[in-house]
Amino acid sequence: MTATIETPSRPAPFAGRELRRVPPTAWVVLLSGILLLSIVFSVTLGPADIRPAEVWGSILGHLGLDPTALGGQVLSPLRDGIVWELRVPRILTAAAVGAGLALSGTVMQAITRNPLADPYLLGLSSGASLGAVAVILLGFGLLLPVAAFAGALAALLATLLLAGAAGALTPTRTVLAGLAVSSFFGAVTSLVIFWSATGDTYREILSWLLGSLSGAGWPAVAIGAGALLIVGLPLMLTGRTLDAFAFGDTAASALGIGVNPTRWLLLTATALLTGAMVAVSGSIGFVGLILPHAVRLVAGQRNRVVLPLSALAGAVFLIWIDTGARTLFDPRELPVGILTAVVGAPVFALLLLRARRIR
Amino acid sequence: MATVFRFSAHARRATPLLGAVALLMLTGCASAAPAAEPSKPAAPAASAYPLTVENCGTEVTFEKAPERVLTIKSTSTEMLLALGLEDRLIGQAFPDGPIPDALGGEDVPVISDKVPGQEAVLTLEPDLVYAGWESNFSADGAGDRETLASLGVNTYVSPAACKEAGKPDTLRFDDVFDQIEEIGALFDVPGAATELIDEQRAALDDLTPVSDVSALWYSSGSDIPYVGAGSGAPQMIMDAVGVTNIAAGVDDSWTPFNWESVVDANPDVIILVVSDWGSAEKKIGVLQSNPATAKLDAVVNERFITVPFAATEAGVRNVEAAATIAGQLEKLGL
Amino acid sequence: MTRTESAHGLGDAISAAPPAALAASRLTFSRDGRLVIDGVDVDLPVGSFGAVIGPNGAGKSTLLQLLVGALPVDSGTVLFDGADLLALRRRDRARLVALSEQHGDGDTGLRVNDVVLLGRTPHIGRWASEGPADRQVVADALSAVGMSAFADRPFDTLSGGERQRVHLARALAQQPRLLLLDEPTNHLDVRAQLSLLSLVRAQTAAGITAVAALHDLNIAAAYADTVIVLGEGRVVAAGPTASVLTGKLIGDVYGVRADVLRHPRTGRPLIAFDTT
Repeated sequence: MTATIETPSRPAPFAGRELRRVPPTAWVVLLSGILLLSIVFSVTLGPADIRPAEVWGSILGHLGLDPTALGGQVLSPLRDGIVWELRVPRILTAAAVGAGLALSGTVMQAITRNPLADPYLLGLSSGASLGAVAVILLGFGLLLPVAAFAGALAALLATLLLAGAAGALTPTRTVLAGLAVSSFFGAVTSLVIFWSATGDTYREILSWLLGSLSGAGWPAVAIGAGALLIVGLPLMLTGRTLDAFAFGDTAASALGIGVNPTRWLLLTATALLTGAMVAVSGSIGFVGLILPHAVRLVAGQRNRVVLPLSALAGAVFLIWIDTGARTLFDPRELPVGILTAVVGAPVFALLLLRARRIR
Repeated sequence: MATVFRFSAHARRATPLLGAVALLMLTGCASAAPAAEPSKPAAPAASAYPLTVENCGTEVTFEKAPERVLTIKSTSTEMLLALGLEDRLIGQAFPDGPIPDALGGEDVPVISDKVPGQEAVLTLEPDLVYAGWESNFSADGAGDRETLASLGVNTYVSPAACKEAGKPDTLRFDDVFDQIEEIGALFDVPGAATELIDEQRAALDDLTPVSDVSALWYSSGSDIPYVGAGSGAPQMIMDAVGVTNIAAGVDDSWTPFNWESVVDANPDVIILVVSDWGSAEKKIGVLQSNPATAKLDAVVNERFITVPFAATEAGVRNVEAAATIAGQLEKLGL
Repeated sequence: MTRTESAHGLGDAISAAPPAALAASRLTFSRDGRLVIDGVDVDLPVGSFGAVIGPNGAGKSTLLQLLVGALPVDSGTVLFDGADLLALRRRDRARLVALSEQHGDGDTGLRVNDVVLLGRTPHIGRWASEGPADRQVVADALSAVGMSAFADRPFDTLSGGERQRVHLARALAQQPRLLLLDEPTNHLDVRAQLSLLSLVRAQTAAGITAVAALHDLNIAAAYADTVIVLGEGRVVAAGPTASVLTGKLIGDVYGVRADVLRHPRTGRPLIAFDTT
């Protein structure tokens, strides 16, 4: 007896079909181009009125070139400071943080097989918050990135130990352990604030809890870009491994993946990346949760494709959101975490409506 | 399983962030106190009780001059001390800093470093709770105004800190003086009020305003500077000494600002608000460590002026704040 | 005779018949302190199709997961063609052994092609991309299970039978020499069941050794060369299908009355059940 072949009977089931025909490399090239243009264009925007030629002159000057070459213009040290010490590092940090968070979110969602997973899943955000709030209240504001990073790692460690205590690091145990650790660190943070917040230090804490790139200078660029390079880039290449988890742990194992070591390694790498991002920007929500889904809706589910595209899309998204945060209510600044959701949610809803496949 | 995930994801986001944010709202809100026009009762020569005033949209009736007063925040404590009403004070709470020696008040017990809870307030059996911020009166703070009224406790908020009712465009010294007058009337010490107002007017008139000096009123914050804006006590004080506020364009008492605008404006002086939690050194450190603000003329030439936090909210110390700023401007040769 | 004696006696008999491709001996595995697999032997010649049968909870799926290395054995060895499977590195093992599991769920968002391409995971370098050769293997695997026309369809929209065939194709894309199938006919209609088993038989005809955990005794009777009967983690009986599947054994293991008839056309055993 031979296998009978059933003919396909159902119609093409989703609207995004044509978009998926675009080859992944084309997406990467397109988004890289948009990223570059976004950086160049957003540097010219800000509360201070600085002409593009001045921006160009400042950048040329700092790259060791003649500022007046290629149409650049020499500008005063103060205006140069606005471009080179405030705008450029802030935009580059936004790009790194956006990319890092989106990347972390993609990995977290794939490895826990939970669409609601985000970079802060393992209690990272609450751990970092506790570290940050503690140093703000103790008055050592300059140690903030270190404390936030240390807090994130402490939370990660607590979560992994709790989740892995009984052996296998299953997605469910990981998520639940993260919940317990989050709740605890969150409560301790609240307790610390209640106990010792004085005057208007709360404003500083609030800005940090909602996420902000306003303090991002070159050290932040170094941290963000460094983490992206050292941890993010290798993570970006784990797509095939993540895809192997599509049918569960046993299937992954049968495909030659060491399930437990892989999960430990990827969770730890993701946490390091997120910890670095949280340290420079506070916990910016939404980017890591929604952007990976948005990318999947457009470009399909293969993590090998989704990872680099998420990183690029995250960078572009956060650059523009932060540009909005610094310019929309000029001279006031909007906490960037508010804008990420206000702008991101409708965009995501639109994508969701287009893609009827998701049930 | 799916349900667990869903629950966990939500609770997780909610706990660390929203919880803490909500808490922040409770512990210290409303320093962005919008200026408000104090209600102006026909200032009586001698108070005729019962006396009813409209205070931040709430009608408060005084049957007699209050005798057991609890003050919350420094501005209210200092107001009573300046009017010689120390004997009416049964306690103070949530002080913003030390009270100047000249005002006395060392014997007034501090019942709480923060906003006291309802029970702590009621145990003292006050007949008036006088708060510096409207938000001090809430169910999870000192109690809401209606509840306290129903228990026979009157409430009063510094009118400059009213949130909505009768909000004036811009706070002026006349508004502060009106408040002194109103308190004088409520406590049946109109003479002391008039004396204090005359004294303060004279001190103001003595100031020689500078001109062509721009200033940043740096209240707090590091990544996002929180600065004195165009319509509250900071602007009022800066107007009195003649400096131009670089953040005057924002119609608020205080506002979150951005360093780019500060660098762009390059102010001649920077006024540092000093408190227990935010020393001048810390703020100077922030300015010097950011490569962009480090190049500001005021930072390079160390043209810093300090003013104590408690003197920068609308109250009896605003004139003193203006005087100290004027003195420091003079020392800087401006 | 006791169960253990029967198991070892038959195991020895089979291993004596060359060439033994799969030789697992004395496998034990416990979960939460309870022995789930207790001294199990499996011996199969190259190109044969072995069926693992037994009541629910007998340890059929666990046995397959031990053979593929997804669960660690407490003791015992698995030899395949003389190589110690459990000592191999995971990736190397995954090039020899493939497992096709039962899956009810599906919200993977992957296309059929992508699912089958997963089978190439152990063959493609960790940081490398798939090449034309890999794509050819995927196409061949899809064609072998008659699903070529579905290559670009979203996996989640397929029927149960179609999904099982794609899972089989994914396992075939691993180019395994030992193919493990866990309840491959679950939730399938009768035609889909028969067509899937025919596909497996086509693979064994090509030299692949196959082991399937099966619920349906008549499917096992119709397709398997060898039957391994598990009960409470032990081998109750093992050997050529026709000699193992007796009415008495089925009665002992499943607690039902069964008569083994002969299929009028194929001549294979055919089991009729009766509970009274």
